[in-house]
Amino acid sequence: MSRRWSRRATALLIAMFALCAVSASGTADRDERGAAKGWSARAIELAGEVPLQDGGRVKPLSTFASFTLLRLSGQRTLASRGEARLDATAWSLDVLFHPEAAELEPLFLVPDSAAIEALGIDVGDKRKRDRWSHSELAPGAGRLLALAHEYDAIEPKQRTSLQQQIVTLAEDVNAFDGLRAAFDWARTQLTVPQGTRVAALFGGARSVRFSDVIARAPELAALHAQMAAGADANAKVELEALYTLERELDEAVRGSRALRLFPPAVPTGEREEWHTPWSILADAFGTGAVDPRHVELLRAWEELARTSGTAEVELETARTLAAQLATARGEGSKLALELAYYRWNLLGWSQGLFGLAFLCAAWLWLRPRSRAPYRAVCVLVGAGACVLVLVIVTRCMIRGRPPVSTLYETVLFVTATGSLLALATELLNRRRVAVSAAAVLGLVGLFVANGYETLDKQDTMPSLVAVLDTNFWLTTHVTAITIGYSAGLLAALLANVYLVARLLRWKRGEPAVFRELARMVYGVTCFGAIFAIVGTILGGIWANESWGRFWGWDPKENGALLIVIAEVALLHARMAGWLREFGMCVAAAFAGTVIAFSWWGVNLLGVGLHSYGFTSGIQTALWSYYAVQWSVCLAALAQALLARRSSRAVAT
Amino acid sequence: MRRARAAERAHIEAPAASHDVAEPLPEGRTVRDERAAVPRHGTPGTTHARSRAVRVGRSALAVVSSTGLACVLLVLLGVLTWLGTLAQVELGLYAAQQRYFESFGLVHHAGPVPIPLPGGMLVLVLLAVNLIVGGLLRLRRGLATLGVLVAHVGILMLLAAGLVKTLCAREGHVTLHEGESAAHFESWQRWELAITEPIDGGRARELVVPEERFLQAREGAAARLRSAELPFEIEVERFLANCEPAPADAVAHVGSTVDGVFLREKPRDPTAERNLAGAHVTLVDRASGARRSGLVWAAERAPFVAEVGGRRFAIELRHERYPMPFTLTLDEFRKEDHPGTGMARSFESDVRVVEGAAARPVRISMNQPLRAGGLVVYQASWGPSNARPGEPLFSTFAVVSNPSDAWPLWSCVVIAAGLVFHFGRKLGRHVRAEARRA
Repeated sequence: MSRRWSRRATALLIAMFALCAVSASGTADRDERGAAKGWSARAIELAGEVPLQDGGRVKPLSTFASFTLLRLSGQRTLASRGEARLDATAWSLDVLFHPEAAELEPLFLVPDSAAIEALGIDVGDKRKRDRWSHSELAPGAGRLLALAHEYDAIEPKQRTSLQQQIVTLAEDVNAFDGLRAAFDWARTQLTVPQGTRVAALFGGARSVRFSDVIARAPELAALHAQMAAGADANAKVELEALYTLERELDEAVRGSRALRLFPPAVPTGEREEWHTPWSILADAFGTGAVDPRHVELLRAWEELARTSGTAEVELETARTLAAQLATARGEGSKLALELAYYRWNLLGWSQGLFGLAFLCAAWLWLRPRSRAPYRAVCVLVGAGACVLVLVIVTRCMIRGRPPVSTLYETVLFVTATGSLLALATELLNRRRVAVSAAAVLGLVGLFVANGYETLDKQDTMPSLVAVLDTNFWLTTHVTAITIGYSAGLLAALLANVYLVARLLRWKRGEPAVFRELARMVYGVTCFGAIFAIVGTILGGIWANESWGRFWGWDPKENGALLIVIAEVALLHARMAGWLREFGMCVAAAFAGTVIAFSWWGVNLLGVGLHSYGFTSGIQTALWSYYAVQWSVCLAALAQALLARRSSRAVAT
Repeated sequence: MRRARAAERAHIEAPAASHDVAEPLPEGRTVRDERAAVPRHGTPGTTHARSRAVRVGRSALAVVSSTGLACVLLVLLGVLTWLGTLAQVELGLYAAQQRYFESFGLVHHAGPVPIPLPGGMLVLVLLAVNLIVGGLLRLRRGLATLGVLVAHVGILMLLAAGLVKTLCAREGHVTLHEGESAAHFESWQRWELAITEPIDGGRARELVVPEERFLQAREGAAARLRSAELPFEIEVERFLANCEPAPADAVAHVGSTVDGVFLREKPRDPTAERNLAGAHVTLVDRASGARRSGLVWAAERAPFVAEVGGRRFAIELRHERYPMPFTLTLDEFRKEDHPGTGMARSFESDVRVVEGAAARPVRISMNQPLRAGGLVVYQASWGPSNARPGEPLFSTFAVVSNPSDAWPLWSCVVIAAGLVFHFGRKLGRHVRAEARRA
């Protein structure tokens, strides 16, 4: 009776955990657009669609805003001073066009208030880990800069956590300042000295806008050249007027380099980098090249900076003009797809489906023989995996790359292939275990993906460094090795089911259940071993193609080798009769930690050619996994030894 | 700058020191061993001894070919790989590689506890033996083991490729500024001492001494190098793997000084190619016995020049050079960044490969090496990394000559075929059994 109750209690706990998971993934779905103050929902949508060039690729402003906000605040939506949370794009509009309001928002995440004290600011009643607004930090700005400059000279590995926090905070504040000043040019009124030929060029206007000057740039440059030649009687006065104007121009565009919002009017072959007002100004006065579409686009942004209305018309003009310029260059064709990718939040849906599947798995576990929960799990896991595959396919289309080329994408791919592999195992061996494993794998995998994204705080679709610029090897080696990871982890998960069931004495007296579990572990391990071996050798062949050596004992290579060795040793030990069901499950569970070491652990070592991905903060999660997994293995081993000893005692 | 030089390369012989001569083995032991291993027929008691020997031999064979041994060796290799990976954080790649993977034995210090371990090379050799005997020769033949057999052949091919590479491959680099040419490449790590003598017509004769001859030279245990072609002997008094010249009066110094300068030893850099070796050398005139001392240092621009017997010689310490069967000229190097970032999108070098009278243009980029004349030339790096736009750049190519270059690809295909056949067959049987159950 007590066992039944403990089972129910555990099931309840699991159900609650799963509910939390589902609701957590659900919050990401919730629409917060309308809540942003001042900006209409339509305006935010339009602003989000504005293309810009950042990190070497053309992306929508919404993506840029979302990852910038994530970097500064650790969140995707901002807990504003107002009641509703602020959408990332709305926040970015605030920073760009109402900096005085944005400065008051509690934005910068400071993990330890000691950093604030170091700046000489009173922490007051704020928590140890809290968000600070730009204006709150303002009194310590000078000190922040000085300290950051000092700590920046220290190697990142040698810095204390406080020093690292100061450096990061300074970078974040700097990024904010960059954005805040990005539209200074649009707000500035440039004074025109009256009674000069310069003033005549502008029809006698006392003050003009940046776009007006750009439109007249060739004439101004010509005038400057003419006056500089010194033939004119009024040369001195005119030059003085020109210098005044140019000084003001320089001042206005100084901060404009943070955003590349202006697609060049020439083909990509001639100029790849998108313009900023600064480079437009430099080109206009340098080469005399002024494109009327740039002037128009500048005007649209200027109107936006001055308007007190909803800004929808201005944003629409700006978005349309920029999109036309980009399209003419053959750029930005994937913008709509990327917008849809984030708008529909397919990843959140997939996580929700896996979460529900997990709930049903718990139900199935309480009623192992009933059909309804079994069917529900199968359908939900299948749906979750399909949505995840759709996510991966969409990302491939946006990036024009094979499924895996970054650490983040390995997580998505491992989750997808792992859950599909578990489903296939269920098809081959209908014991209702593998399908539950698929639900767990899907849920945990997507949690890891979200966690990594939040820790890394970088665009998950970055440009690739030169050596990775080869779709052939990314498709073959990286895909094979990642499938190897997912199969190995699935085998480890199934092995854990076996070990935990043994430990908790479930299904005692039903050896068939354990036999089937062990068979699944064996089958999945074999599958994984093929991919691990082939993937590792392919990696060597790629290394030979790009670095000139097949094997260099680089940490990532060694990690892959460790997986191969672990799986091959397991299979041979089984052949030799050293490992039976139980031993094989212990080994397979242990191999899971070997995979984790190879996948994440070696990146934390910080040596070698493959140390991509900034993954500090993952250390804790990784060691927790090692600790739990090794404890399970050791406990199972200890129990087995005790059981053997007592059975011997009984026999004698 | 190209130096016109008729490179007559010859290796200087070391003087026949007594320790070079192999000591004759005590004969008795060899004979005794033979008797034990090959018992003669007809002597009383031999049938018993023979059957025992056969039994011992059989059980030894059984152990050597066992799957169990494979497991033990694999686990050992796994432990070595793991330790060798962690050791790289402190030792650097090269030292960790030599210690854990290219050795026959080592002592690993887990905190204060010394743990003796077999080296990676030993484990791999044993694994290969185990694989050949147990995984190929003594494997049961049949459809059930065909896949395993094929996969084992593939693994063996891979190990063979590694062996051939270890024994025969040469690795190095060529670093060229735009417009420069080279007909040789340099080792990353190995040193050589080069003695150059200008001969008529702007040409020069060159003699080189490989590093084995002087690597161990220490104060009081100088390495003496001699060649019939030179009027002097060279004494390498002190060789330092990483050092820098320093004025002798500035700090308390070790070792002899030359013109008030000595070589200050520095700790070895974990990145082996960053080490700058140096040595204190003395030329001893064979006719007069007169001595002239000098310092040679890897980063020195000008060699140590000495006049002996009316002939002028230049002595320099440099990375070992290997001739290429063609001349490589760098026309242009391009580094492209992702627009608006400092992140490299591609590196490309346009080079000309000149073989005799024929010259052909080739583009070398990441993932697209040049394969010619048994060499593979890769885009490895570039510099200076802080170059301003328009400043001349240099491009570094890794050069490898490796006879087993393409073997891993074939072995990969073989292994994959074997495994897919083996496990595919098992899966098929499992599916059929499940179908029967349902």
